[in-house]
Amino acid sequence: MSKKLIELRHITKRFGDLTVLDDFNFYINENEFITLLGPSGCGKTTCLRLIGGFETPDAGEIVFDGKVINDLEPNQRLINTCFQKYALFPHLDVFDNVAFGLKLKKIAKEEITARVKATLKLVKLEGFEKRSITTLSGGQQQRVAIARAIVNRPKVLLLDEPLGALDLKLRQEMQYELKEMQKTLGITFVYVTHDQEEALTMSDTIVIMNEGEILQIGTPEDIYNEPKNRFVANFIGESNIFDGIMHEDYTVEFCGKKFACVDKGFAENEPVDVVIRPEDFDFAPPSKAKIVGVVDSLTFKGVHYEINVLVSGREYTIHTTKYREIGDRVGLAVDPQNIHVMKKEHR
Amino acid sequence: MKRLRLFSYPYLFWNALLILVPTLILIVLAFSDLSVYDPAPFSFTLVHFAIFAQSYLTKALSNSLVLSIVTTVICFVIGYPVAYFLARLSEKTRKVWLALLIVPLWANMLLRIFAWEKVFTPGSIFTDIFGLELNLLGTHLGVVIGMVGMYLPFMIFPLFSVLEKMDPSLVEAAKDLGAGDAAVFFKVTFPLSLGGVVSGVIMTMLPAMTSFVLPARIGLGKINLIGNIIESKFMKEVMGSSSLSINVGSLISLMLMIFSVISFVIITRFDKEGETLI
Repeated sequence: MSKKLIELRHITKRFGDLTVLDDFNFYINENEFITLLGPSGCGKTTCLRLIGGFETPDAGEIVFDGKVINDLEPNQRLINTCFQKYALFPHLDVFDNVAFGLKLKKIAKEEITARVKATLKLVKLEGFEKRSITTLSGGQQQRVAIARAIVNRPKVLLLDEPLGALDLKLRQEMQYELKEMQKTLGITFVYVTHDQEEALTMSDTIVIMNEGEILQIGTPEDIYNEPKNRFVANFIGESNIFDGIMHEDYTVEFCGKKFACVDKGFAENEPVDVVIRPEDFDFAPPSKAKIVGVVDSLTFKGVHYEINVLVSGREYTIHTTKYREIGDRVGLAVDPQNIHVMKKEHR
Repeated sequence: MKRLRLFSYPYLFWNALLILVPTLILIVLAFSDLSVYDPAPFSFTLVHFAIFAQSYLTKALSNSLVLSIVTTVICFVIGYPVAYFLARLSEKTRKVWLALLIVPLWANMLLRIFAWEKVFTPGSIFTDIFGLELNLLGTHLGVVIGMVGMYLPFMIFPLFSVLEKMDPSLVEAAKDLGAGDAAVFFKVTFPLSLGGVVSGVIMTMLPAMTSFVLPARIGLGKINLIGNIIESKFMKEVMGSSSLSINVGSLISLMLMIFSVISFVIITRFDKEGETLI
């Protein structure tokens, strides 16, 4: 495992009466692409601003490379930020925007020019040097913002929902490019988003947050396949969540039927949440299936159909490439390893 | 909405009648030997331009220019920090401060000038309370203090309006890229407030340059600005002591008007949305 670059230790942050983060702990490894994912208001942006130095914690320590940096101003940190609405300087052209940080460091003119040009090439904005910021499209402004940050060769790049304002196609393109850039440059990326798909696509590690708390930290696969609780399961992709009872290791009951599963270590007859992803259901002949229902609605989604099956009064959502008519009687099957059993949240 | 347009006609008509028509008359008078009190066939002439060779007029012009520039510079030096301070206040406290700036403006201008006049007279209320003997009537210093007091808000408001609208994340971005407080100000905040600076300078300098009650009262008529000359040119003919002096006054007025229009064009160049105009 690589070394810890940033650590947040027992961080508390309040805005007036509102406690946004309470005894918040986590660390970021060097060269990692880490994403803070959560609904708006969950404290993820605050977390980013604390790392960037735009907010000071009310309690706790922010450690960077082994040193506490609580009192360092943003301009003294080896961290650069890509702001949500880009925050490009409207009075400067593309070149001067990107060169802003380098000029402050009193670097030789030739080197500035060379580095700015190289960075603009990296973000595919060659020849845009003299363009005014206001004449650029959203995607181009986004790239300038990234170039302006990475030209300084920071150890860490903070990105606050940088793709939020872009249309779908451009967003997907930029996701790929950002990931590529992160690999090529070897910079630690701390990425904030509320878009689960974006997080799954780009991250090495995802931190799921809600109401100032970390719910789960893990790789995209871990989080998608083994959500720790109902909230995570719901937030990451669409899910069917059932109330169930864990009878014994490898056997779970839900919807009045017993199923084989791969989970163990629960108490006998412990109530649990059972998650089954829509794409993990398969059709089976009704005579052989444990779950039998009637197709209630059908939506064409491009790659797949989204089919709602009504099973004894409850809707099951299924993503499948197979077509069924509304009103068809269908059986549903699911593989044991696709049944995810989670502890009930205690509220 | 079309019907609403009808309601704008009275004012537009009023403007046409009381601004456009007089301006046209002003132009005719400035370039002709038409006598206001004795309308008769007249011919066009450029003879009134001779006034610009008169030493009392060039003196008044330079007075106007120097005093208005000094006033503007002082207003800028005092006003920029105030505007900056106001723009960073929370909305509640800001309203209180803005009220402190705006409410005095609603007091009649003549009243404020008379107040300055009293304060600058020896044995004023200042002497009674603070033991301060101000004797500034008829001095340049008195006129400048009066003009700064009068026009400072016109410098502050446009500056405040650009500074307040400035995206605070731009300051954060500059800091993020390594700028200290001074660099943030000189490389980001100030350049982005230039539109407000231009508007503020013009909106202070123009009225300062053309003011005439204030120099007349506080300057005791010893310090003449261009406005005082125009007034005297018009009054002379009204009093019947000099004919065609209204034509000369018209020409000077016209020059000032052209200057104002140019200034307006400059403001709109720098401030395309007109956010700094009040």
